[in-house]
Amino acid sequence: MSLIKQLWLTIVVLLLLAFGGSLFIGVSTSRHYIEQEVQIKNADNANALALSMSQLDKDPVTIGLLMAAQFDTGHYRLIELRDPAGEIIDRREGSERVEDVPSWFVDLVRFEVPPGRAVIQDGWRQYGTLALQSQHSFAYQSLWQSTLALLGWFALAGAISLLLAAWIVRTIRRPLKAVVQQARDIGDRRFTTSEEPRTRELKEVVQAMNQLSGSVRDMLGRESERLDQLRRRLQHDAVTGVLNREAFLGQLRNGLESSGRQASGTLALVRLARLGEISEQLGHADTDALLKSLADSLDQLGKVRGDGVAGRLGGGDFALLLPGNLDPATVGRDITQRLQLLKQDESRVSLGLPSALIAYSQGDRASALMASLDGALATAENRGDLAQLVAEGPERLPLFTSHAEWRRALEDAMQTGVYLGRFPVLDGQGRLLHLECPSRLRLKGEWRNAGVFMPWISRLELDAALDMAVARATLKEIARHGKPLGINLSPASVRNARFVLDLRALMHSQREAAAKLWLEVPESMVIHDLESFRSLCRELQPFGCRLGLEHVGREFRRISDLQDLGLAYLKIDASLVRGVDASPEQQTILRGMATLCHSIGILAIAEGVDSLQESELLYELGMDGVTGPGVRQHDRPGG
Amino acid sequence: MPRPPPHHPVSPGRRRFLVGLGGLLLATGLGLRPGLVDANLDPSRLRQSMQRRYGQGGLAVLEEWFALLDRLRGADLQTRLREVNAFFNRRVRWVDDIDNWGAEDHWATPLETMGQGQGDCEDYSIAKYVTLKQLGVPGQQLRMIYVRARIGRSQITQAHMVLGYYETPGAEPLILDNLVPSITPASQRTDLDPLFSFNSQGLWAGGSEQSRADPLARLSRWRSVIERMREQGFI
Repeated sequence: MSLIKQLWLTIVVLLLLAFGGSLFIGVSTSRHYIEQEVQIKNADNANALALSMSQLDKDPVTIGLLMAAQFDTGHYRLIELRDPAGEIIDRREGSERVEDVPSWFVDLVRFEVPPGRAVIQDGWRQYGTLALQSQHSFAYQSLWQSTLALLGWFALAGAISLLLAAWIVRTIRRPLKAVVQQARDIGDRRFTTSEEPRTRELKEVVQAMNQLSGSVRDMLGRESERLDQLRRRLQHDAVTGVLNREAFLGQLRNGLESSGRQASGTLALVRLARLGEISEQLGHADTDALLKSLADSLDQLGKVRGDGVAGRLGGGDFALLLPGNLDPATVGRDITQRLQLLKQDESRVSLGLPSALIAYSQGDRASALMASLDGALATAENRGDLAQLVAEGPERLPLFTSHAEWRRALEDAMQTGVYLGRFPVLDGQGRLLHLECPSRLRLKGEWRNAGVFMPWISRLELDAALDMAVARATLKEIARHGKPLGINLSPASVRNARFVLDLRALMHSQREAAAKLWLEVPESMVIHDLESFRSLCRELQPFGCRLGLEHVGREFRRISDLQDLGLAYLKIDASLVRGVDASPEQQTILRGMATLCHSIGILAIAEGVDSLQESELLYELGMDGVTGPGVRQHDRPGG
Repeated sequence: MPRPPPHHPVSPGRRRFLVGLGGLLLATGLGLRPGLVDANLDPSRLRQSMQRRYGQGGLAVLEEWFALLDRLRGADLQTRLREVNAFFNRRVRWVDDIDNWGAEDHWATPLETMGQGQGDCEDYSIAKYVTLKQLGVPGQQLRMIYVRARIGRSQITQAHMVLGYYETPGAEPLILDNLVPSITPASQRTDLDPLFSFNSQGLWAGGSEQSRADPLARLSRWRSVIERMREQGFI
């Protein structure tokens, strides 16, 4: 039985006991009191009458008159005179009328009052025995009335008590529910904290659970910090803190190979010229500081522009990768602005900060892009301190020439329908976790992947419309064949409250399919807009869909902030996965990540897996799933 | 000096009544039932009561009384009446209540009467009544009678009480009186003028079933004596 039910039962039983008990005591006491009073009256009146009769002549008329006078003017049921032999001399009897009282009540209380008896003397002899009973039917009536009044009062008091009890139970129930919810969360390895209720016992439970959550959070924080340090040592330049050459080029390659939104954008190269001279003039430390401020400036620009990544290619050469930013000229202006500021701030030496940009898109080769940029940068360096060149990429005809055309084409394409690509995500036993479904749109007679149209989707603010179309198509697919499918949502959509509501309504209408949907957002989302993501989780988790993050790497240490979101999985960025078989450091990092994820009930999935050997190693490291070019599903039943 | 019992206001009794009612309410609430009162004589309790209140002197009289009971058990009615009458007339010195108890009219139990060694007319009557009942004389044949007594040949009359033995309810009683040593039929007692009579009939019968703490018992002087006797170990 539930605690609340027991409470209610106890309260009701107590009320019944209290009220029933006092009703019983009240009625039985009144009854007893009335009986005694009537008994006294019987005895006294009998004695008084006998006394006066003893003094009179024992003439039958006188005796009869006396009895009649007493009976008629008093309140008697019976006056009876018997001679010493027991024969009746005279007898007056009234009816026992009980009005307005139910007969069961009369039977229940039924007064038992013995008649008063007294002996009448005739000289020394006994003349007779007088028996006298008072009329007590009125007592039934008054007892009945008082019982009714008591019952009325008890009903009122009972109602008030129950209201009070209901209020108390409610004040207990609310915090109790919160406690139960928190305990359930912790059972699901979501270490949430909750507000401490006022009830002392519950408060102690909540405090204990909050403490547990807190220590888990601390542990997560410490461990993820340690892993992040390892990762930084592996992937970042020690002086400037941005990505090192290998990591940056890896990132570029991942982008070019992906069929998602990072597949096209702008790549920029900036050089701090005459590094040797500057180093001689400023000394080692100041030169490092200068390099760092340049790197920070570029990194900042990358963050402002979205998922941009900065890297140091070596010496004074820095690169900036801005996925999704299609117009090198705009990016170039931003870069020049920042470089100008840097140059102004440095008064001791004249800085040479040439830069070069190039637009890239899916299918380009990283080496070719870098070669073009190097050439352009060399030319720019010769032209002046802040010179900038936009390098020509491989010849490419734009699909559409104006915004209006793009918009019409994209809207038409979304109307026509979204094609869903399929890339399996497999677990250690080769079973299907879900199929990743990057979207494709039919533009100019061909199915184009996201790298082509995504930048335009963002620019024309069609993210929500596209994501909605994709979600609709995906749910339809799931309903058709029942396999779990995964799609990614763009940060702009997640930030759009309207989109979240629409998506919720859509999932509500297809609950069965929604339970097999895997939704992911880029890692950077949780840095820029944790609250929007949190509310997305809150709205969608009730449908049983799984929410996760993709391209996790740089912000893995934020996992301690995410542990209460109820994330189902993390997809670990390819830059940490590629070449894992050759790098013990990467293996350490991945093993640590997998362990941390498991400790809070999150699946760890590796992205960008190139080969079967790699996936075997990754499973050994504790990964729950792998995906990437080297992962193919053999005909095994989906999970 | 015997006089008719004055009519007392009931207020002190009412208070006791209320206290008793409160106690009863409490007892009812707790679901207690008073135990039944033993209707027989309890010698050990009587001895205790006597010892506590009157010491060795009282105890000696009590032992004599026990001896009297033993002796008269099985004796014929006339002997029992005579011996009991003589025992109390001899043992108890007549004295007015006001001198004996400091109260205008005090009804004493036989134990108090024997312990004090003195009493007034109703104390004699009560003691004889209780003793005869104890010796097996049926209660309904014994009645205490209020009488008007003429002293000597004068016209002065006084309130007085005697014990009457009725062989049958309608018969002429035999009178046990402390003023006259012998037992005589009522018709020969021309100095006495009967007014009213009572006994414990009904009270006693009901009494054995009722609660010791019955508040009604305190209301009437007669019932009060009965109640005290019960406490001291009679009945």
